[in-house]
Amino acid sequence: MRKAEIFVAFLLIVVGIIALVDSVRLGFGWGMSGPESGFFPFYLGAGTIVCSLLVLINVLKEYKKGAAGQRLMPQGALTPILWVLIPATAMIVISEFVGLHIAAGLYLAFYMRAVGKIGWVTTILVSLLVPMSLYIAFDKLFLVPLPQGLWGAKLIPF
Amino acid sequence: MAGDFQNLMMGLGIALQSYNIMIAVVGLVLGIIVGVLPGLGGANGVAILIPVVITMPATTGVILLSSIYWGALYGGSITSILFNIPGEPWSVATTFDGYPMAKAGKAGKALVISFLAHGVGAVVGVIMLTFFAPIIAEFALKFGPAEIFAVMMLTFSAFVGLGGTSPLKTVAAILFGFILAAVGMDIVSGQLRMTFGSVDLMGGFNFIVAVIGLFGLGEIFLTVEEGLNIEGIKARVGLKDLREGLQEIMRYPKALIMGSLIGCWMGLKPGGATPASFMAYGFCKQSYANKDEFGKGAPAGLIAPEAAAHGAGTSATLPMITLGIPGSPTMAVIMGGLMIFGLQPGPMLFKEHADFVWGLIASCWVGNFLGFFLVLAFAPIFAAVLEIRFAIIMPIIVYVCAIGAYAVNNRMIDVYYMMIFGVLGYLFKKLNYPLAPMVLALVLGDMAEQAMRQALIMGQGNPLIFFQPPLALPIMVAAVIIFFWPLISAWKRKLLGEPVRPSTVTTRPS
Repeated sequence: MRKAEIFVAFLLIVVGIIALVDSVRLGFGWGMSGPESGFFPFYLGAGTIVCSLLVLINVLKEYKKGAAGQRLMPQGALTPILWVLIPATAMIVISEFVGLHIAAGLYLAFYMRAVGKIGWVTTILVSLLVPMSLYIAFDKLFLVPLPQGLWGAKLIPF
Repeated sequence: MAGDFQNLMMGLGIALQSYNIMIAVVGLVLGIIVGVLPGLGGANGVAILIPVVITMPATTGVILLSSIYWGALYGGSITSILFNIPGEPWSVATTFDGYPMAKAGKAGKALVISFLAHGVGAVVGVIMLTFFAPIIAEFALKFGPAEIFAVMMLTFSAFVGLGGTSPLKTVAAILFGFILAAVGMDIVSGQLRMTFGSVDLMGGFNFIVAVIGLFGLGEIFLTVEEGLNIEGIKARVGLKDLREGLQEIMRYPKALIMGSLIGCWMGLKPGGATPASFMAYGFCKQSYANKDEFGKGAPAGLIAPEAAAHGAGTSATLPMITLGIPGSPTMAVIMGGLMIFGLQPGPMLFKEHADFVWGLIASCWVGNFLGFFLVLAFAPIFAAVLEIRFAIIMPIIVYVCAIGAYAVNNRMIDVYYMMIFGVLGYLFKKLNYPLAPMVLALVLGDMAEQAMRQALIMGQGNPLIFFQPPLALPIMVAAVIIFFWPLISAWKRKLLGEPVRPSTVTTRPS
């Protein structure tokens, strides 16, 4: 918990600094036509830094007595989360090449089989039917184009 | 008044067209499913469908989006009562008494009571919307940039002062949302901000992508972490349950009225349904003599939070269409949908697109009415959705989220943003940084900045313009008082020498 608190507070401070630096570049004063471009972000950045610093101080005070506090996630919870996160990221990367629907089909099959230990028949049926119906619904019926990737257009000829 | 009635009839004419009714039913069914499934909430359910909605006429599209919201409001209770898992944050309080009641073999009755309470909450909320929306819109027409900015300050300070989480973290989350909104082109001067030469960053961060990531993926991570083992109670809703539920609910008019009114009041303020349901539960528990029965299946403990949640959800429409300030993330997404149609929510909407506004208000009547009968008739079928293994549902949700995130701008980079927002949402939720105000800041960022800059130009750089009587001053003063409310109430307690009383209900951030 302590590490995570410090990490997030630092992240916000960094974001605040980025906003601050950029607003100094743009100018945060009073220009020809009223407040300059960096006017609003300047105060946002400054405020974020102040708030996150105060949060950080509170956190350090709270966990001072040597205890790191409660764990951020219960023991052994990281594994299932990574089992969601990594394949999902892989799906997105793969869809850059073969398009979202095919990548999602692979992803569905992988997750159901490897993590869910679901029978082959269900796995194959779901990972074929769901992308197909979503393809028909979005690309054909509602005419919302979805990522085809580099070769997707050739892989789905209809 | 008479004019409003005529307008409402015109709106009903639009909402009752067979095509629009069909769309409303589709939206409700989707919404109930979204509400039933943990890990898929109203906000991202609506967000995912935004790209689809663009292809429809404006009124029909908004009917679809709002129907999903009404459906999700109803659907969340099914999961809470039968599975003891809150399908939505606002149905956490429902599990306190709903699940024990279902466990005692009265599942059907519990469902009926809950839906009836929802229905009453909805009716009270819609009545308020119908009568007050035109009045508030008329009043808001007098607002200039300074007043608009002051109203936004009021909105955000309500999150800080009344949000229940750490005020510092709330402010940090709000400012973070505003910074994200500022990335990209400055709408006033056309300069690029915080893009550092990157073309991808020029487009900025779309809040729909953020909503899908923060609420969709973040929620999935939380669900997976808890290790979901679903053990539900089988329920059938028979005519006997219906009769008994009706009789039961008549016996607790106080819980019903209290819940609805608390809900409608809280719905006007940002934060909306979730705190409303907790507050109604707490108040109701205080006011009934049989306190011991609460938590063991007391009907009143089920009625009050349910009526409050739905009342709040409905009345949250009011600030959105009259002032252009959404009270909850779901409303923010619906408002995003309006803006895609080129409809700027706010007082002018009533003047320029009266047919649209009244169509929307009428569809609140129709949608909530239809939703009631849908859940009542098909509750067991919707509950069966949860029988499907989570390992099948989960990847499909991720897939659908990816579709939604991509389709907003047809950019692949948004899907990566969605993943990052997912991890961020998980961390923020774990560490009690509130997500709702952050999303609202991201939505309102450009508008807030524009209002502030215009007001400052009008005041020639003098910030006193924000405290100008007669309109901006009281709003701003209220904002300041609410902002410092935690300090003020602590100070008051000290002054009066009251002991610090730990609050009886802990609010979970929504």
